[in-house]
Amino acid sequence: MIEVKALKKRFKLTKEHQQKGKSKDVREHDGYFHSVQNVSFSCSQGEVLGLLGPNGAGKTTTLRMLSTALTPDSGHIHINGQNIVKKPLIGRKSIGFLSGSTGLYGRLSARENVEYFAKLHGLKGKTLKLRCEALFDMLDMTSFLDKRAEHLSTGMKQKASIARAVVHQPDVVVLDEPTTGLDIMTTQTVINFIRGLKNNGTPVIFSTHHLDEVALLCDRICVIDKGVSFFDDSIAQFKAQGNSEELNQAFMNLLQGAGHV
Amino acid sequence: MFEVFKKELLELLRDRKTLFFVLALPMLIFPVIMGLVGFLGSQAALKAEQKVHTYYIINAQHSKQFAERVFYHKSFKQYSGAEQFDTIDALKEAVRSGSIDVGIYLEADPADALKQGKQAKWQMVFNDAQSINFIYNRLQSLANEFSELLREQALVSLGVSKDKQQAILQPIVVSKVDTADKRENIGEKIGAFIPYLLIPLVLMGASYPAIDLGAGEKERGTLETLLLTPVTRTQLVLGKFLTVLLSSLACATVTVLSMAIWVSVAVSFVELDTIKNAFSSITGMDFVLIFALLVPIAAIFSSLVLAISIYARTFKEAQNYMAPLSMGVFLPIVVSLMPNMVLNAKTALIPVTNVALAIKEIVKGTVDYGLLSMIVITSAGLAALLLACCVRWFSKETVLFR
Repeated sequence: MIEVKALKKRFKLTKEHQQKGKSKDVREHDGYFHSVQNVSFSCSQGEVLGLLGPNGAGKTTTLRMLSTALTPDSGHIHINGQNIVKKPLIGRKSIGFLSGSTGLYGRLSARENVEYFAKLHGLKGKTLKLRCEALFDMLDMTSFLDKRAEHLSTGMKQKASIARAVVHQPDVVVLDEPTTGLDIMTTQTVINFIRGLKNNGTPVIFSTHHLDEVALLCDRICVIDKGVSFFDDSIAQFKAQGNSEELNQAFMNLLQGAGHV
Repeated sequence: MFEVFKKELLELLRDRKTLFFVLALPMLIFPVIMGLVGFLGSQAALKAEQKVHTYYIINAQHSKQFAERVFYHKSFKQYSGAEQFDTIDALKEAVRSGSIDVGIYLEADPADALKQGKQAKWQMVFNDAQSINFIYNRLQSLANEFSELLREQALVSLGVSKDKQQAILQPIVVSKVDTADKRENIGEKIGAFIPYLLIPLVLMGASYPAIDLGAGEKERGTLETLLLTPVTRTQLVLGKFLTVLLSSLACATVTVLSMAIWVSVAVSFVELDTIKNAFSSITGMDFVLIFALLVPIAAIFSSLVLAISIYARTFKEAQNYMAPLSMGVFLPIVVSLMPNMVLNAKTALIPVTNVALAIKEIVKGTVDYGLLSMIVITSAGLAALLLACCVRWFSKETVLFR
């Protein structure tokens, strides 16, 4: 289980940016851009949480804090009771992170990419081999395993990056817009992968703009805007509070209702 | 850390661009360029040496002896055209138009001038803008020989016998007794050249992989995934640093080996005594010492370029930062060549300059091992400090997510 409470993160504005004068974004003040001002949500075993919000809402910053790439200014992130803000190395062992940009090493093969990350997560010898082979079979990667990543198609790359993200069997999986720019076939691979995780009881946090995917996969929804999470509940509650059975409409109504549009 | 190092090395060996700059360039391109420059230079010198110059003398009657000396010299041919020249300006015009290569204006008869206690002033008109030009030296030599002959005759006529002339003309002869041995002399010359070649190469060998491992990773989006692994930032930086260091040293080693091979090949074909003498004085131990000095320098450069590369947002931005550094590295080497710049306890503390001075001392065979240890320790200390900065840099969100 992952619990996020009152996360805050600000970035110092450059002098150049400050000299430009008044900005439209209300989060820019006191020489800082307050990217995330108060974000809280939770995701239990076997749940898929959809993280929604307009562009620039603070979703990526929030996910970067979950993945420990960024340290929050305040707030807590607990994974199975461990505060990963204080113990980032534990957080990195517990989280599997996947984004739309595959982030594979082009001059390494798909196999080498996955095995490299497995080794960095401390897997060795037979355990490493068995785990990798199982993933390669599950994701149907055997035909392109030894091809360099720079020569793979987008779908193949995404499969390799999925394998890389979960090779260490993480407690929580975080996905940052994983289907952006992907074709239908590859999107389906990602959706199947998320379903597989859900069935295995792994909590999944899933940031997206595609509400059809949310409808297909998510149990809960968290809506963030202007760095604040103002909704964290079930899909049924999302529709009820948004006064619409259509997720797109409910989302718009929720934003309007909260004074964000 | 070693997993990061192994992976970075594997990627580096698969990168054609880096392989080209680190291995192919020093192995093939440098010797080819240097060979080509040497060949073209020697050809140009040979051509200039063999060239026969057309000359014209105004007032040849003032010194028939000199005119005959020029006439019979193998490198000069008398102007055979119909045109006559009688002034300096006419000679200048003839040189410009290409009718003659050199014009000689004999203003007065030197024998007559000497009798009156005066010097005869002759003028030589030629184009001195050519880089390789033997005209003036050859004519000067002929004029000097003739001048000496006239002086000798004049002194005899004054009653000074030939055997006493030398003493009268130069009562004191100072001769040099050099305490420096042959190695020290040659070492002074080539010892200054070696750092010029090696130190920038060490930097070049570090720059290309560093850009790829830092800014390149940021640009390709692989750095963020790497940061999410349970490997500490220190381990990540050390893994990358070792790769850059290895590449830097490989570049310098490959260059030195390739130069040694190419020089030995060249020497086996052509008799090049200067090169033979120069290189025969350097022992295997000297090479080991030079390499030992290059290790901390390579470590300094590797930490520096890695820090720059991590700071840069893109590959191109990193390249822009590296350009002034590549030129700046020559400054401390030039400082080492300044007059009175010797290796001592003070200069041993100046980064890069100290290594350049020490390499010269090693080649000369006059190195102080105490100072050498001091250089290694201070350079290694500086490298460690820079590496610590690099780790700190790598832990800063403002740098990683600029």
